[in-house]
Amino acid sequence: MLAYVVRRLGVAVLVALTVSALTFSMIYLSGDPAVALAGEAATQADIESIRQYYGYDRPIIVQYFDWLGRALQGDFGQSHYLRAPVAEVIFERLPTTMLLGALALAFALALSIPLGVLAAIRPNSLIDRAALTLAVVGQAMPSFWFALTLVLWFGITWRLLPITGSDSWANFVMPAIALGYYVTPAVMRLTRAGMLEVLAADYIRTARAKGLRPHTVLFKHALRNAIIPVVALAAVQFGFMLGGSIVIETIFAINGLGYLAWESIQRADLPMMQAIVLVLSLFYIVLTLVADLLNAWLDPRLRTA
Amino acid sequence: MKSTKIQMLARAAVGAALGLAAAPALAGKADDTLTWSTDREVAVVDPYYNNTRELVIMGHLGWDALLFRNLETGEYEPLLATEWTWVDDTTMDLTLREGVVFHDGTSFGPEDVAYTVNHVASPDSGVLTTNNVKWLESAEVTGENTVRLKLDAPFPAALAYMAGAIFIVPEGHYDSAPMGADGKPDYSAVDPVGTGPYKWTDTRAGEYVHWEANADYFEGGPKGTPSIGKIHFRTIKESNTQLAELLTGGIDWVWDVPKDQAERLEGAGPVQVENAKTMRISYLTFDVAGRSGQEFFKDARVRRAVAHAIDREAIARNLVGPASVVIHAACHPDQFACTGEVPQYEYDPEKAKALLAEAGYPDGFEFDIYAYRQREFTEAVIGDLARVGIRAKLSFLQYRALRDLIWGGETPLAHMTWGSNSIPDVSASTSHFFSGGKDDPSGPGGDGDVVAMLGKGDTTVEPADRAAAYQAALSRIAEEAYWVPMFTYAKYYAFSEDLDFTPTPDEIPRFYAASWK
Amino acid sequence: MSDQTLDLAAIRATAPTPAAKLRKRAFGHAGFVFGAGVLLVIVAMALLAPWIAPHDPYDQVLDRKLIPPVWFDHAKATWEHPLGTDMLGRDYLSRLLYGARISLLIGFSAMAISLVIGTSLGLAAGYFGGRVDAVCSFIITTRLSMPVVLVAIAVVSLIGSSLTVVVLVLGLLIWDQFAVVTRAATMQMRQRDFVAAAETLGSSRARIIFGEILPNIAPGLIVVATIEMAHAILLEAALSFLGLGVQPPLPSWGLMIAEAKGLMFFEAWLITVPGAALFFLVLAINLLGDGLRDVTAPENRN
Repeated sequence: MLAYVVRRLGVAVLVALTVSALTFSMIYLSGDPAVALAGEAATQADIESIRQYYGYDRPIIVQYFDWLGRALQGDFGQSHYLRAPVAEVIFERLPTTMLLGALALAFALALSIPLGVLAAIRPNSLIDRAALTLAVVGQAMPSFWFALTLVLWFGITWRLLPITGSDSWANFVMPAIALGYYVTPAVMRLTRAGMLEVLAADYIRTARAKGLRPHTVLFKHALRNAIIPVVALAAVQFGFMLGGSIVIETIFAINGLGYLAWESIQRADLPMMQAIVLVLSLFYIVLTLVADLLNAWLDPRLRTA
Repeated sequence: MKSTKIQMLARAAVGAALGLAAAPALAGKADDTLTWSTDREVAVVDPYYNNTRELVIMGHLGWDALLFRNLETGEYEPLLATEWTWVDDTTMDLTLREGVVFHDGTSFGPEDVAYTVNHVASPDSGVLTTNNVKWLESAEVTGENTVRLKLDAPFPAALAYMAGAIFIVPEGHYDSAPMGADGKPDYSAVDPVGTGPYKWTDTRAGEYVHWEANADYFEGGPKGTPSIGKIHFRTIKESNTQLAELLTGGIDWVWDVPKDQAERLEGAGPVQVENAKTMRISYLTFDVAGRSGQEFFKDARVRRAVAHAIDREAIARNLVGPASVVIHAACHPDQFACTGEVPQYEYDPEKAKALLAEAGYPDGFEFDIYAYRQREFTEAVIGDLARVGIRAKLSFLQYRALRDLIWGGETPLAHMTWGSNSIPDVSASTSHFFSGGKDDPSGPGGDGDVVAMLGKGDTTVEPADRAAAYQAALSRIAEEAYWVPMFTYAKYYAFSEDLDFTPTPDEIPRFYAASWK
Repeated sequence: MSDQTLDLAAIRATAPTPAAKLRKRAFGHAGFVFGAGVLLVIVAMALLAPWIAPHDPYDQVLDRKLIPPVWFDHAKATWEHPLGTDMLGRDYLSRLLYGARISLLIGFSAMAISLVIGTSLGLAAGYFGGRVDAVCSFIITTRLSMPVVLVAIAVVSLIGSSLTVVVLVLGLLIWDQFAVVTRAATMQMRQRDFVAAAETLGSSRARIIFGEILPNIAPGLIVVATIEMAHAILLEAALSFLGLGVQPPLPSWGLMIAEAKGLMFFEAWLITVPGAALFFLVLAINLLGDGLRDVTAPENRN
């Protein structure tokens, strides 16, 4: 197990390094950051002085290692636009996005796990079909359309919920639903498939034969086993939602990381962009690492894979 | 907020069910809070260290300039300075207003003006709005109540900048700046202090900026005394969300509403809509030198064909708004010496086709068009061009990226806009584009004749002679069709029907002059 | 998911289902029939657009813009424009018909690119194992840890968007599922007797990979292909929402929805028409994928 953990950690670090290099080069290959910084009325001399000031005149490899060295110490440089340390801004906004992601995930799990279980108990029943319909329908609507429809109904027509802001819990209801709805189908399918498999397993049959109460069998034995892959998927989906909240945060004017990313892309705020992509990737890397280690711990066969 | 009892009950029920209470947004007449919103994030609240329109607007809220430009008369009036006289071309003596106090309680005097000017004029200050301050050299206190400004060189537009861009901060204001990560003082991190009609209270970077009325604002100034208690700025990126908030009373004021939305907004809620002209113009600029590799537009006949092919009237009328007018010269009609007396190209697709055939393209051709703003306007241009057989492929970019391409001569045709920095003089538009600089459609060096004519206009003092020189240049530009000047922009404002507010053509909303009905 | 694929592949390999039985199951499967039917209609719309569209989809008449569809009781509604006109006075029905082409093209091309990349990586990793697998798995893991939406937006906004750029960026980003599924399936397949038999008979590696393994894992890939095609179409819509999708005047459905969003609160039909079209397209593709999985491997869905 220790060897597996060490190897898995090594891969994670290597992946993180590769992602950082990719991010760094991708952004640098795309245009002249000094020109972007200088603004609408800048002269060539202004641009040149900005280039030297920020060190954009150095070779890209030097810039990368310089950046990486600082990043390892938690210094992602200064945001060009917000004029504040990048790390500070990111850690200021991260909690909002984490909260949104967690609420969205909670919504998704609360909706999809019961539906998945019910569908598995009664395959091909009305509820199974309804759940399946919900899943395919959920996957077929562009997220911004769904989100704006929520705004139209709950925000304007019925005035039940505040449309923008992040001050109260009510502000997060619509965004969490809009964001969470999209991971519902995957979680539901996995729960259903897992439950079907477990319910057909020998030990469940044995439990039933022993005359245990149906819902004891269902929840104490079946669901507990079926839920393990769902937890792993949820972890991965959480990482996905942190990165995928750009559209939702834009619509609901939530000042999180996704919104910051979109703004930074638009104003070519390079240090910010690099740090956000890296931070989100690191999140994903850590989450998958945890999920993998968890799975390996539960299922020793995987350690050799 | 116009919610019925049922809605309030429903809201309370949902709130209770969710175990929370929806915090009412602070906006509107009932709260004496004017909340305005744009899609831009504001992190730095300092007009020198943030070069966005939002900070120009807030600059006039929180600070006072030395002079005040009366938009109706075009005259300059006393603000922080009561008298100003030119000693020579580069020296000006000012007498200052008495009895003015800063928001922090210190009283205003010549030391503050000298400090502000010397700070922003210093190259070490890292001021972001360099164009606004680079004409200043220094200032010195010359008496109890007087100060002397020194200019780098003679600068005809000095008064305009003194009224629009030089906001006075108290002496020593930037001394408390914390050290930035780069080892230099970060002046942008200093809390805002000015003498203006509104006082800064709070900022959350990228989310909001809060101001409240300055109860001690001096009487009898050209800005009047503030009427609305609080003015809040909020960033809302998505235009639908802005409109949703406006309709439900979450915010009170937005602008840049597209025409279709603006027209439908009026009947949809407690909102009034206004269309006001602006200093911004829309234009097409050709790659006249053929540097982009697509050489169609080297031929003046092709450029004229494009001008004839576009129904600018229809675009202005149907897409821009009633305050928009079609233009024929490469400048804004409100600018000094901007004349419509130049060769004009009426909408005539047949003529366009004939010109294309004459130039050797009877079946049209395919080329790349670039744009960065109001995609639907460019789409309309593409539609018109398609009708005469010119197939345009659109690349829609960010402004900075597109400007780089234009400077590199890589765009066969670009649909651009220009706001002339709100300067009411053709030197800020025509001279900028046709004096042989990077923006010149003919490439670096430009059209020698035009460059000479503009040079004469820029350096001549006598207004009639200036106008004549510019007219010659504008006529030549129109004759050669280096540009297709399109129309002036008109801006739709939408705001609460409780609000008494008048839009201005310089796109600087005077919130300090607004009041509740 | 990979387990299901494996089983299904295994079944195909060892006990090929008679085609007739398969057909019967297919036609008895409501989701499959519906999905295939809707997709056929949309493909037909796309192919026949030049003949059935009442107007030129690019022809704008600014003075006749925003005419509502005929089912609205509105003075301007006319059968000349059954679905009305858009913000530039272009016929909405014609744009919808031509838009089917663009949306299908985006979904299909992006999926095809990702299929090639993902399957190649997966086959190499699964067949050769060892170091090749380590390298391929590393590439897959690296790709998986980059946030798709964010990277797509960043790249497209920096390069500038066009149909080609959008297709390429999406294709280069969404191959992960293909790779993961192919790798797992190939690994299992590698241990099967018929592969070992082919190896002892001296078949070339290429022959084994493309002649023996690939056909046996294909059904699983088709299911992934449907998912990724739907995925690509929705991603394009999201890019369009941020102004980074295909460039106008090309009428992709995603772009039509994005262009209509400004009037969503006032002229809801403008977004509902292309929205419904896109919805049914994605729905049909998803149902088809689900159906294919059920039909080819019925035991996965009791």
